Amino acid sequence: MRLRDITRRAGRSLKNAKARTLLTSLAIGVGAFTITLSLAAGTGGKQYAEDIVSSNTNVKELYVQPKQDAQGDSSQPKEYSDTPALSYGGGFSLKLLEQSDIDKITKIDGIETVTPIYNVTAKYVTREGQKKYQTSVEAFLSTITQEYAAGSGDSVTGNEAILPDTFSKALGFENPDDAIGQTIDVVVSGTIPGSGDKTFPLTIVGVTKKSELAAVSGQSGIQASSEIVKEMYQFSQKGTPIENAYMGATVLAQNEGDVESIKEKINQQGYDAQTAEDLMGFIFQFINVLQGILIGFGALAVLTSVFGIINTQYISVLERTQQIGLMKALGMRRRDVGRLFKLEAAWIGFLGGAIGSGLAFAAGSAANPWIRETLTLGENTNLLIFQPWVFGVVIIGLMLISVGAGIMPARKAAKLDPIEALRTE
Amino acid sequence: MIEVKNLTKTYGKKQNVFMALDDVSFTIPDGASVAILGKSGSGKSTLMHAMSGLDRPQHGEIVIDGENILKLKAKAVDKFRATKMSFIFQSFFVQANETCFDNVSLPLEIANVSGGERRKKVIAALEAVELGDKIKSKAKNLSGGQKQRLAVARAIVNSPKVLFADEPTGNLDSTTGEVIEDLLFGHTKTNGTTLIIVTHDPDLAEKCDIQIRIKDGKIESISEPKKAEIKKPVTRRIQ
Repeated sequence: MRLRDITRRAGRSLKNAKARTLLTSLAIGVGAFTITLSLAAGTGGKQYAEDIVSSNTNVKELYVQPKQDAQGDSSQPKEYSDTPALSYGGGFSLKLLEQSDIDKITKIDGIETVTPIYNVTAKYVTREGQKKYQTSVEAFLSTITQEYAAGSGDSVTGNEAILPDTFSKALGFENPDDAIGQTIDVVVSGTIPGSGDKTFPLTIVGVTKKSELAAVSGQSGIQASSEIVKEMYQFSQKGTPIENAYMGATVLAQNEGDVESIKEKINQQGYDAQTAEDLMGFIFQFINVLQGILIGFGALAVLTSVFGIINTQYISVLERTQQIGLMKALGMRRRDVGRLFKLEAAWIGFLGGAIGSGLAFAAGSAANPWIRETLTLGENTNLLIFQPWVFGVVIIGLMLISVGAGIMPARKAAKLDPIEALRTE
Repeated sequence: MIEVKNLTKTYGKKQNVFMALDDVSFTIPDGASVAILGKSGSGKSTLMHAMSGLDRPQHGEIVIDGENILKLKAKAVDKFRATKMSFIFQSFFVQANETCFDNVSLPLEIANVSGGERRKKVIAALEAVELGDKIKSKAKNLSGGQKQRLAVARAIVNSPKVLFADEPTGNLDSTTGEVIEDLLFGHTKTNGTTLIIVTHDPDLAEKCDIQIRIKDGKIESISEPKKAEIKKPVTRRIQ
């Protein structure tokens, strides 16, 4: 018998038992629904996490620190080293990078720039006729995505700066637009006694919106050009041993693909480099675990529905004993009888997969705006992203599983003795 | 020609052995109509099952067209049944939820006949049993007589060499029964099909060329074949 004819007959006998077919496929549909949604949530979650990572860090960026000594037992004396370090009490110290280290790293192939990390805590920031506010000043990095309420961060040079919108309000600008081109004063004090304060007037070129995505390590302070931040840093640390030393440096790779190899090269030089992925890896791990749990539930639903299919098909074989007997008497081969029932199971799997993943798509598309509002995600962020291949994989996968479930009943049908089946009364 | 040689079929083991068929031998010429008569439990159904390859007796040979079907492999026997044999049953066994067309099309699908060919043959067979107007009707909407006519259409659609009929009129009243009989005899005679009817109705048996009586698994008597040319008017006995 031709496969096409068997498939048609399988479809027809399912159509003759509509309610049973629908209920059985709904059982498998629950599994399809869960699996499709969890795959969509995984994709959406990763996409969202990537957005977070790209707005907090740059994937081409590496964060380099000196390799720290094992702090180990603080009761043991430690050898003195001439390199600059921040010492804490109890024998703990934090090694710092020097300019020579920066130069050494710059020589590695594939590196675009090496920017030392300056950590400036300003005494205060103010504007004429306004109150004074505490703040930190960070070097502006054009590679980090930010949303602007006014102005832009296309180029931040010289004494230009970017202000968070909270500061623009506190400093008396009614609208973010009013702040553009205005001057604020950042006052930094020196560490050595008697060095006094120094005022750095900065021109505002941009005001950033409070970013939903920057929740993890968002820019909360003022961002200024790296030149001015360096000046502030050197003023504040003037006269201390760490004047020309840094806690770390940001390395920008030329190509995204080289990041891993550059990390290795930097580590070989005796430093400790971390990629954006290393820093943000926990998010992806979390998403993977969550997705795994959801898929597990889906698999459980599928497993349950497998028994449903076996049960339905068994009953179907019993109900259609005469039909099977007739087909065998008419010369239908055992293999074809088995195929008929396996194909019926495949149809059930197809229906269940299509219904389940279709409903998941509809429900997910409807839920996306709601999720966005409830969790106050950024605009255009969908936590559920449906990729076309998922539907194919889910439907084909469930068809295969259904065929597997149909093997036992199909074998029973194929083995049926036509004489017994056709015995009248 | 169908040759049955020393056919023996037993059920059970050792002390409980039951001889369903005991050394049965006979020959049926091509195109003849044969009635296998006997009471229930006499072994007539077992004989039919053996001759159609559905059952496998322990001993003996069944030679159809020079081939011993008991020596064939399951696959070959299936093919034999699909292309050269067909069946009519007492309880029709038409598929109630399927259309007349699909019911009749089944043997052709099993025999791998192409779609276009199938359509032609199915329509011809349905017209031959005067169900040409019911092609798209569901079988469950037919009367008993129509159902058996549908079964006849299904049995003749693949132009079989041998047609087995197991009490074909057993579930029908005498008038509709006669219609079915006429259809069967008419079709098999014009197409040279060998017709084997299992029955305990002596009237129906009387219409056949050969009567084989079975009792306790043994052949009680075989009538001499009537000459096919002589068409004797058949009178029904008043019951």
